[in-house]
Amino acid sequence: MAKKLQGETFLLSANELRSGKVVFFTSTGWSSSSSEAIKIKVDEIEKYEEISIKEEKKCIIISPKFVELDEAGNIRTLRDKIRNSGITIKI
Amino acid sequence: MYKYSDIDKKIIASRVKQFENQVNRRIEGRLTEEEFKPLRLMNGLYLQLHAYMLRIAIPYGELSSKQLRKIAFIADKYDRGYGHFTTRQNIQFNWPKLLEVPEILRELSSVEMHAIQTSGNCIRNISSDHLAGLTLNEIEDPRPWCEIIRKWSTFHPEFSFLPRKFKIAVIGCTEDRAAMLVHDIGLRIIKRKNQVGFEIFVGGGQGRTPIIGKKIRDFLPKKDILNYLEAILTTYNQEGRRDNIYKARIKILVRELGIEKFRSLVEENFSKLSNKELEIDDKSIEEIFGFFRLPPLKPNTNQIPSKNNHEYQNWIKQNVIPHKIQGYSIVQISLKAPKKPPGDATSNQMIALAEISEKFSFSEIRVTHEQNLVLPHVSNDELFNLWNQLKIQNLATPNLGLITDTICCPGMDYCALATARSIPISQKISSHFNNYLKQKEIGDLKIKISGCINACGHHHVGNIGILGLDRKGQESYQITLGGSAKEDAAIGEIVGPSFSENDLIDAIEKILDTYKKHKRNKSDDFLSVFRRIGIKEFKKDLYDNFTKKA
Ligand code: HEM
Ligand code: SF4
Repeated sequence: MAKKLQGETFLLSANELRSGKVVFFTSTGWSSSSSEAIKIKVDEIEKYEEISIKEEKKCIIISPKFVELDEAGNIRTLRDKIRNSGITIKI
Repeated sequence: MYKYSDIDKKIIASRVKQFENQVNRRIEGRLTEEEFKPLRLMNGLYLQLHAYMLRIAIPYGELSSKQLRKIAFIADKYDRGYGHFTTRQNIQFNWPKLLEVPEILRELSSVEMHAIQTSGNCIRNISSDHLAGLTLNEIEDPRPWCEIIRKWSTFHPEFSFLPRKFKIAVIGCTEDRAAMLVHDIGLRIIKRKNQVGFEIFVGGGQGRTPIIGKKIRDFLPKKDILNYLEAILTTYNQEGRRDNIYKARIKILVRELGIEKFRSLVEENFSKLSNKELEIDDKSIEEIFGFFRLPPLKPNTNQIPSKNNHEYQNWIKQNVIPHKIQGYSIVQISLKAPKKPPGDATSNQMIALAEISEKFSFSEIRVTHEQNLVLPHVSNDELFNLWNQLKIQNLATPNLGLITDTICCPGMDYCALATARSIPISQKISSHFNNYLKQKEIGDLKIKISGCINACGHHHVGNIGILGLDRKGQESYQITLGGSAKEDAAIGEIVGPSFSENDLIDAIEKILDTYKKHKRNKSDDFLSVFRRIGIKEFKKDLYDNFTKKA
């Protein structure tokens, strides 16, 4: 899961099992708001990987992944930006 | 239209129960995601970028008004009020909740619909010509054959775990409106010495290795079709690669063995395995054909109302074609209105369309692989009334077959595999070329857009194909020229280095300038000019101009 990550800081994200909703890991559990998410340093990755495995086993989330942040602390890739803020088009 | 038998109904109902049970076991932790994933995929349930996605089959593109109303109801109650018609006669919901999917499937089963064969390494939803049964030059209606193949394939125990997914399309005339030649198997109904049978193509496909299907059989009597399909599938099942997902499709096997060798293996299996049970007798054929009879249309001399209204006249010219029964028309409804995501329809549009189809088209609606809809049997004298009603729903855009009638996959706005967005590109094209006369001047032109190399948006077979790529974190668009998904199918050629989103419209304009420069007369369309002058000319004009500009 932590393969080929770029950068120094990350968020832990996933989809909620029951709803499929995109969620981020915060100090009080999973939330839809990325701004509340815990900023994870490179050397903490393993610890959060373990957390995500436990949360998966508890049937709370699926498809956990780390979201890369840039130096300014913003989400780095377009895919993760869209995943965080929703589709870029009007229906 | 096909009606479920009691057995069909039982099978679908028990499948819903089974899935409900699987979902419950998943929620309670008795199934891991690894165990559950293949089960949900067998019921059309994916996980995309933002949420789950449910893909529902619309077998051979046929919908009744009742079914469309149910889809609208599901969109409102369980999703976000819209659905996306795909390039293989399916519809997708982008936001269903796992817990509610069994309920959605139950609702669907009440109108004889399901999500089986829309995912996984099985024989997928059989697709067909959206004008099946409606045109004069058809040898035979392909829909009954789709249904015969569907019955055979749905729960075929040997073909539920193929090396990779498997797509079949069936057409009934020379014109290919189902992209048959880029399917794993393409069947064309033909007539030989007064006998009707199939011409069979195999090993076509898109994705990262686009290939045009090769002819494996000149002619096969109708009664043998299931035995022959069984022989192809068995050969693929035995010989196809399971060690490498990128080499697992039948197209790679056919390419690696060569069509001659592949054919001899299939013919060997055909003579070895053919059995009487799979032979279709005339009585069964007739029975299935009974479901696909035309509604009671009486030939008449009704004329299309002529009105002094440009918009209406444009729509008649562009979207309406004659029905084989005199006095009736086939109305094609564009789902490519300006600024709208191609192939999307809102629940309000669906409800209105269900009602419109009841009033004007015997409650029938068809879905096309080009992400549009069709009202198959409209009386000529009703066309003006119909147009007025479609217009209110933003469903009367007169652009069928023109540059703004783009095919487009969901791209990075929805899809976890995407390398770039595709819908905004399509929207830019539709805004830029919005003017009907400008589009008409360009003429027939198919632009097809995919958000990654998997090619769900058919870019390889677009006259102009656009492939969204990721170049060092930036979206970038590669252009191919000269592709076709029709009976003259061809894979487009890459014109050169890719363009940024901002430069893309300029690039398309330059390509069109080259086309216009070489166009000889009104009927000389883009593809004909491309085939005559080749890619070099386009390349030169395109990149010289861009260098000059820079
Ligand atoms: C969850 C969303 C989707 C996923 C994960 C997905 C995945 C894929 C993949 C991996 C391929 C390449 C297959 C191969 O090369 O063997 C493919 C092909 C294709 N997909 Fe999709 N797709 C998605 C949505 C769609 C949509 C929305 C459409 C229609 C608009 C579509 C229509 C097709 C078609 C027509 C092909 C090419 C035909 C072929 O299989 O060779 N897909 N898809
Ligand atoms: S082409 Fe790529 S981006 Fe588009 S739907 Fe298919 S997998 Fe997703």
